[in-house]
Amino acid sequence: MSTFSDASGVVAPLPKIRRPTGFSGVVPALAFVGIFFVVPVAILLLRSVLEPVPGLGNYAQLIGSSTYLKIFANTFIVSGLVTVISLAIGFPVAWALAIMPGRLTSVIFAILLLSMWTNLLARTYAWMVLLQRTGLINKMLMGMGLIDQPLALVNNLTGVTIGMTYIMLPFIILPLYGVIKKIDPSTLQAAALCGANRWQCLTRVLLPLAMPGMAAGALMVFVMSLGYFVTPSLLGGTANMMLAELIAQFVQSLVNWGMGGAAALVLLVVTLSLYAVQLRFFGNQNPGGR
Amino acid sequence: MLLNFDRLGWWKYILLGITLLTAAFLLLPIVFIAALSFGSSQWLIFPPPGWTFQWYGELFADPRWLESALTSFKIAVIVTILSVLLGLVTSFGLVRGSFMFRDALKALFLTPMILPVVVLAVALYAFFLRIGLGGTLTGFVISHLVLALPFSILSISSALEGFDKSIEDAAVLCGATPLEAKIRVTLPAISHGLFSAAVFSFLTSWDEVVVAIFMSSPTLQTLPVKVWATLRQDLTPVVAAASTLLILLTIILMALVAVVRKVLKQ
Repeated sequence: MSTFSDASGVVAPLPKIRRPTGFSGVVPALAFVGIFFVVPVAILLLRSVLEPVPGLGNYAQLIGSSTYLKIFANTFIVSGLVTVISLAIGFPVAWALAIMPGRLTSVIFAILLLSMWTNLLARTYAWMVLLQRTGLINKMLMGMGLIDQPLALVNNLTGVTIGMTYIMLPFIILPLYGVIKKIDPSTLQAAALCGANRWQCLTRVLLPLAMPGMAAGALMVFVMSLGYFVTPSLLGGTANMMLAELIAQFVQSLVNWGMGGAAALVLLVVTLSLYAVQLRFFGNQNPGGR
Repeated sequence: MLLNFDRLGWWKYILLGITLLTAAFLLLPIVFIAALSFGSSQWLIFPPPGWTFQWYGELFADPRWLESALTSFKIAVIVTILSVLLGLVTSFGLVRGSFMFRDALKALFLTPMILPVVVLAVALYAFFLRIGLGGTLTGFVISHLVLALPFSILSISSALEGFDKSIEDAAVLCGATPLEAKIRVTLPAISHGLFSAAVFSFLTSWDEVVVAIFMSSPTLQTLPVKVWATLRQDLTPVVAAASTLLILLTIILMALVAVVRKVLKQ
């Protein structure tokens, strides 16, 4: 604005107090998000302490039942496994992408983005078919003579872990790629000059330098996995429920809004506190996915 | 040396191997489903005994599939328009404005992105039951807009932050009204942000399934809900055909984004 008044030769008196500007622009979005996001979520959470009777009865029931505890355990075990496997596969891939020659890199990036943007249901359906007893994976394993009997790969937590890892891989590879790309190669040259062998360069220089990115990516994958609904319910079968399904079941089949709200609050608190950790230690990164 | 591909020695073959296997792993289900949609086996045997268009025939013959695809498209288009407009106005406020709690508000607008979708789905379901929007087109649009708006605000805000406001001021100086300057100078300059906002919003709505499961009614459902409901009954190849069409649309949109990015860069 100062250039404007200087150039025009008009010197407008500056207001003594800076009045708020631009607020009217955010009013529509604020109203929208307030009515259709904040209020509904708040009502849901309130119902967890108000229905059927006011108090913390729903939470006591949630913690006191072995069925529900098993669902919490399922959720955390699967999310943890998915995180560890994604990290183990994702790190070498991100590393290779950061240093590989151009043409192949762009092909693999295209595949990454394609799988990320391909409809979630289409991908999950593919895994339902691939992993079934007579599916391609079992046939291949038996053809190679690795197994005699088809493995139970679907309708259990194995299936959920495979399907979820598949979905989360791009979400860990892309941020890791960014982190490794930013590492100055001369730090590794310096380590080599000082006599470090390849293994020492990896464990004492490259991995520590990539660690913040790995931690941030892992946290993101873990949090996203905790709240996943579609893949666990299609690949997990009814006996291996996860938290998101439990919430849906309380609400849809049992019409128990108190318990549904309580389970939702548990998921929400865990999710938001892990994000708070992420923001505090690793800064802002864009999450995504369902 | 670890960051120089040619000097990795035999390590580079390990890295290359893992990368190619991962790429194959990521591509496998997509290619597999596309192949099966043309396979003649009802039981999804691979490799299929023969090739056929039968499942596409069944897909297009069933008015419910077509209807749900049209519903999805209609909702996605309305959501895209509203999301870009609302995102644009909001971004101007957030980027150019100065008022209390600006950063807190921005964080609030982006929260639907990190919230587990199932929580939002259940909350909106209860809310809409009470105010009579359950199972309506309006209900669908509102709930998808809640999810799409953060992507729109992010894309447009970052484009607006990268735009030098003095160019807009110069236009005003040359006689344009402030609104004219915004429309004829600023909007074209941030068009790449508007375009990403539109594509993200469209795909968010088009692919959305969790919220849609709760919003749908027997008479009104989107394509992903139809796929979901069919999958719960059996693994028919008709779903493979529907999925392949969904994948095809994604590829077309991605190609479009790549082309538009190239054109805008020139």
